[in-house]
Order: sequence, then C-alpha cells, then structure tokens
Amino acid sequence: MSEVALQAPPLEAPAWTVRLRRGWTGRLDDLRLALDSLSSHKLRSGLTLLGIVIGVFTVVAMRALLTISGIAIGIMTVILIFMVQSGMSASFARQLSTLGPNTLFVHKWKWGVSGSDWWKYKNRPHVTMLDLRALQQNTTLPVAIAPLVNTLATVSHAGKDVKGVDVRGTTDGYLDATGWQIRRGRFITALDQEIGANACIIGADIEDAFFKGQEPLGQQVRVGPNMRCDIVGIFARKGNAFGQTQDLRVVLPLSSFIRTFGSKRGLVVAVVAPEGKVRETEGEVTAVMRNARHLAPDQEENFSVNRQDKLLEGFEQMMKATNITGILVGIITAIVAGIGIMNILLVSVKERTREIGIRRAVGARRATILWQFLCEAVMVALVGGAVGIALASGAASIIDLISPLPARVDPRVMLGGVIGSAVLGVGFGLWPALTAAMLQPVEALRYE
Amino acid sequence: MALIELEHIVKTYDLGLSKVPALRDIHARIERGEFVAIVGQSGSGKSTLMNIIGCLDVPTAGIYRLSGRDVSTLSDDQLADVRNLEIGFVFQSFQLLPRASALENVELPLVYRGVAKKERRDRAVEALATVGLEDRMKHKPAELSGGQRQRVAIARALVTQPSLLLADEPTGNLDSRTGEEIFHLFLDLHAGGNTIVLVTHEPKLAARCPRAVRLVDGLVIADGPGREVAAANAEALGAEALAQFQAAERAAQAGARP
Ligand SMILES: Nc1ncnc2c1ncn2[C@@H]1O[C@H](COP(=O)(O)OP(=O)(O)OP(=O)(O)O)[C@@H](O)[C@H]1O
Ligand SMILES: [Mg+2]
Repeated sequence: MSEVALQAPPLEAPAWTVRLRRGWTGRLDDLRLALDSLSSHKLRSGLTLLGIVIGVFTVVAMRALLTISGIAIGIMTVILIFMVQSGMSASFARQLSTLGPNTLFVHKWKWGVSGSDWWKYKNRPHVTMLDLRALQQNTTLPVAIAPLVNTLATVSHAGKDVKGVDVRGTTDGYLDATGWQIRRGRFITALDQEIGANACIIGADIEDAFFKGQEPLGQQVRVGPNMRCDIVGIFARKGNAFGQTQDLRVVLPLSSFIRTFGSKRGLVVAVVAPEGKVRETEGEVTAVMRNARHLAPDQEENFSVNRQDKLLEGFEQMMKATNITGILVGIITAIVAGIGIMNILLVSVKERTREIGIRRAVGARRATILWQFLCEAVMVALVGGAVGIALASGAASIIDLISPLPARVDPRVMLGGVIGSAVLGVGFGLWPALTAAMLQPVEALRYE
Repeated sequence: MALIELEHIVKTYDLGLSKVPALRDIHARIERGEFVAIVGQSGSGKSTLMNIIGCLDVPTAGIYRLSGRDVSTLSDDQLADVRNLEIGFVFQSFQLLPRASALENVELPLVYRGVAKKERRDRAVEALATVGLEDRMKHKPAELSGGQRQRVAIARALVTQPSLLLADEPTGNLDSRTGEEIFHLFLDLHAGGNTIVLVTHEPKLAARCPRAVRLVDGLVIADGPGREVAAANAEALGAEALAQFQAAERAAQAGARP
C-alpha cells in the first residue's frame, strides 16, 4: 500500500485525456490555422486586388475569389429556382382548390400543353363576357356555370398589409361550381354583379389577419391599389392544399374585379356537369362555344374545354421540368465550384509542402493534416455558400418589394444551402487533403 | 539498454534507372547522456542516417532500436508519436513556420501532444528562455537573425523534453561566431543531461565532442573520441582543412588552460 502511495505521479496524463485534448486543441488549432491561411493569404490579397494595386495579386487569390463567387452564384440560382417552383405549386394549389371532377373549364389555353404550340394558344381570343352569356343562355345540361378570373394582390385594413392574396372575380354561380361554403354572411348576388357593388367575401386567413376578436362583417378592406369594399361574407375555413393555405383570398363580383384590375386577363368559365354526363356536357359546351364564335364546321376551335386531369398532367410536366433545371444547375454548379475548390487546395498543398513536412516532423499524424486541409476546403465552400444565400435573400426581398408575390427564402432551403456547400467542400477537398496527408516527411521537408 | 542501437542499417535510394546506396552497413550504439558528432564528406550519408535515427525515414534493411523498441514494427501514427514524444530535431535550414511567431512555433509539438493552451504557453516560454530568446517571442521568423532562428528551432526541439536531441548541421547556415554560440548551447544542454547527436563538417566543432563517428560512402570508418576522429577526418579533407583544424585546436588549448 505505502509503496503505491509513495510512487511519483505519472508524468504523462492518462491516455484518454491526452487523446481527448489532442482531439480538441488540435482541431481548434487547425481551424484557426486554416482561417489564418485563408485570411492572410488569399482573401486579403483578393481584396488588395479589388481595391488598391492590380499588380500585387496572386493566382491563388484570383482562384479563391472566383471559386467563392462561383459557389455563391450557383447556390443563389438553385435557391431562386426552388423559390419560383414553390411559388408555382402555390398558384397551382389555388387553382386546383376550385376543381371538382365533374367540372369543365372553358379557357383560351389548352391545359397540359407546353412548348411548341405556345404561340397558337397565345394568339387565340380571350374567353369574354359574351362567351359567358352564350353559355349561360344556350346550354341545358350544366348544373352550374361560373366565370373565374384571379390575380395576386395586396389587401389592407387599418394600415396593415397582407401580400400575395388570391383575389378573384366571379358571379353567384361560384359556390355551386366550386363547392366552397360561406360560414357567415352572404355570397355575391346577381345584383352585386349587375351594379358592380363594392362587396367582398373574405377567407379565414384574412379574417385572422385583420379582425382578431372583432366583427368583420360590415367593415371595409382595401383590395389592390385603390378599391375599398364592404365585407359581406366570410368563407368557411378550407385548410391547406399542397402545403399552401387556401384561405388567403378575397372574392369580388366579376364586374367590380374588372373595374379595378382591368379586363385584359380573359375569363375561365367553370361549367359543372351533372354526375355521369361529363362527355355529353363537354359536347354541348363545345357546340355552344363554336356557335358563339361563329366557327364554320371545317374551322379549328379557338378555345379549349379542359378537365382537371389534363391540368394535373401539365402541372406534373412543368414541375418535372423545373426540377430537372434545378438539379442540373445544382450539379453543374457543384462540379464547377468543386473543381475550383480542388484546384485552390492543390495549389495550397503544393505551396505549403514544407509546412506539412515541419508539422509531420514535430509529431502531426496523417489524420491531423487531412483534417487541416478539409477544414480549409469547407471554409472556402461555406464562405461561397453564405454569400450565395445572402444574394438569394437579397433578390427575394427585391422581388417581394416590387411585385405582389410574397417572396422569401425558406430557412430550410438556407440550411440546405449551408449543408450542401459543406458537403461540396468535403467532397472535393478530400483528394487534395489526402495528397497532403500522404506526403513523406523527409520529402516534404526537402521541397523547395 | 542503449538509447540507440543500429544493426546492419542499409538505405538505398531507388532512382528507377540506378540505385544509390546512401548507407551500406551501419552499426552503432549510442547510450543515454552521450554527445556524439557525425562527420564525413558531403554525400557520405550523414543526413540519411540522421533522418533514420529521427524516425523521419525508414531504412531499406537492418534493425533500428530506439529505447529497445524496433521502430520497423511501428505504424505511421506511432512513428509520428515517437517524433513528438521522444525526439527533438534541429535542421540546418531551421524549418520554422513562416507565418507563426517564435512562441507559436515552439508550441507546435505540444499542440500535437494535446497539451492545454495555458500549459503549452508556459512551457514554450520556458524553452525560449533556455535558449535566451525571452524577449523575441512575438517575432516572426523573418524578423529574426539566423542565429535567433536556430535558437527558436532548438527551443522547439527542447520543449517536449525529448530523450534524444538530433541536429543536422545546425551551424551550417550561420557565420562562425554565431555557429560557436549555437554549439555552446548544445554543450550546455549536454551538460544538463540531454543526449545529443549532431552532424557537422567543421572539424574544430567535432573535436570538442566527447565522441565522433566518421562516415565514408555510407560506412562507419572511425568511431572514437572526438579529437582523434576529427583529426583523421580533417586529414582526409586535405591540407587546408588540417591546418585550420590544428590552429583551432591550439587556440582551444590556450583558452582552456589560462
Ligand atoms: N532523396 C534522395 N534520392 C536519391 N538520392 C539521395 C536522396 N537523398 C540522398 N541521396 C543520396 O544519398 C547519398 C547520401 O546523401 P546525404 O544527404 O545523406 O549526404 P550528407 O552526408 O548529408 O551530405 P551533406 O554533407 O552534403 O549534407 C548522396 O549520394 C545523395 O546523393
Ligand atoms: Mg546532409
């Protein structure tokens, strides 16, 4: 016992504490050194290049800057593509929310068609009030007929703005055509339409935004730049479709809508067929429309009668296209930026061969050297990623300011950008970092 | 047990077309506490031998035991640890990190040992004080003279308190007065109990080492008291080197016995 007690304390700390500390102090030190070499070496000379003397930059600085801006632009593009795409699925969700399986849509465009025929459809005449009247008067089968026209606009009340509200113009047939329900108050009447009344029905989200604990009925909201209208009804809450709320909306009489937002957009006329008679109804609607447009029997139709399944098809195609674009841009960015990272890292390894030799000579393990260079690669990539996210957010807030579309970069997408660039750094930094780690100490020390 | 045991050490550089035999059959033992000089003409294999002893390189054949452990059985990580824990290496060209201060350079081996920051700093300051550089700690290598740089390198070698101090021509890049100062530092360190192996091509320095080993074409030709081996080496180098050596020796004797 006493012998044990008399023994001198061990000179070395226990192995696990050493390992732990070697881990942390080593890593932190590497991190600092990586930062150091980046800042002292490349960025600083990069800034010099931008600002002061054009003669004093190194190729490495140029490359670092180019790589960083490459990553930045790539990340920004990918983020913006995702933003636009989610915007599109939002607007699609809004449209789909009005659709039933028995509903036909008379429209200038043929749904689900993209690309080559674009001009043909573009040059067709809009569906107008005259077409609507013809359908209302001359068809027998439909259960309900309602015109639809919509836009995104800002709605305000008492100094508060809500952007990106789905504002629609329609007539009294809307509820039957879409299955929407009124919770309180009333819907648009034929009289409202006739006189262009300043009346509107608001969705549940609008009620929440402006009238917490108040009675909305009888109050006024401003729709778009200059229309004031009285709230006459409130829709029952619909919930989300495709992750997008369906309750951020205001419905106006069609005539009031056209007065405020103009008549340029043309209508979509929703026609609800009786159960099991979709084909017949489609035939009748087509005949009435041909007649209204005065088409000779051999003339091609200059309107389309669409069904929901067509729309779904077209939407899927479009989503696929933007997805592919996003993925392609992402891949190209990753490759270009990755090669850039690899390149500056290889140069850095070469320049610092002696330093690697010195570190190995005083006891750095291979893994430590590997880690040091990986840190550096990730750092370059993260700087690029951060700049890209900042640019995308900037672009989004500009879009938000100058358009009625609500645009902002989803925090999850930002996180994705950060993770993506870190992965990029590791992926393309691995090879140069490995070459650094595999250097033989003697040869590295001898390197000039 | 001897600190260093070399048995039939062979090192051949394979250049593809030809093979260069740098070390042919080296036998040597060095005990703890010795101060050994390695002398020999340029290309005789001194650096090659030092790199093997310092675990920076491995022999083509033969057995090298450090503290009784055969280093050929060690993994790359274990060799790194041996370099870190047991060996302090001083190079002719200093080999300091150019962007780090003197203090940070000296701390470096402790970083890889996992020593906490505060203790690291204290030990590095102490090592720098040992070599007389306590007032230059924040300087970068470029802001130091050659002699001062070599002192930083020596402090870095000392900071881990290694069992073996290796120096490959530590005075080779210095003028003779500064070289003399650095050599004195090694003599002091030896007096303090350190084991030192030092390569030099200056006979007058080798002569003052208790023991010297002379290499010729990768073979040990002489091994004995520094004065004798150095004299033989100087002779081999030619009349001029011999005259220089004798002059230095007379001066040293006159200085030693006032
Ligand atoms: N990496 C290498 N590749 C090929 N040959 C080498 C290599 N390193 C050394 N040599 C050869 O091995 C022999 C011994 O070299 P070494 O560097 O050990 O000599 P030295 O005694 O240290 O010489 P000096 O006094 O000039 O430093 C020389 O012939 C040299 O050309
Ligand atoms: Mg040499």
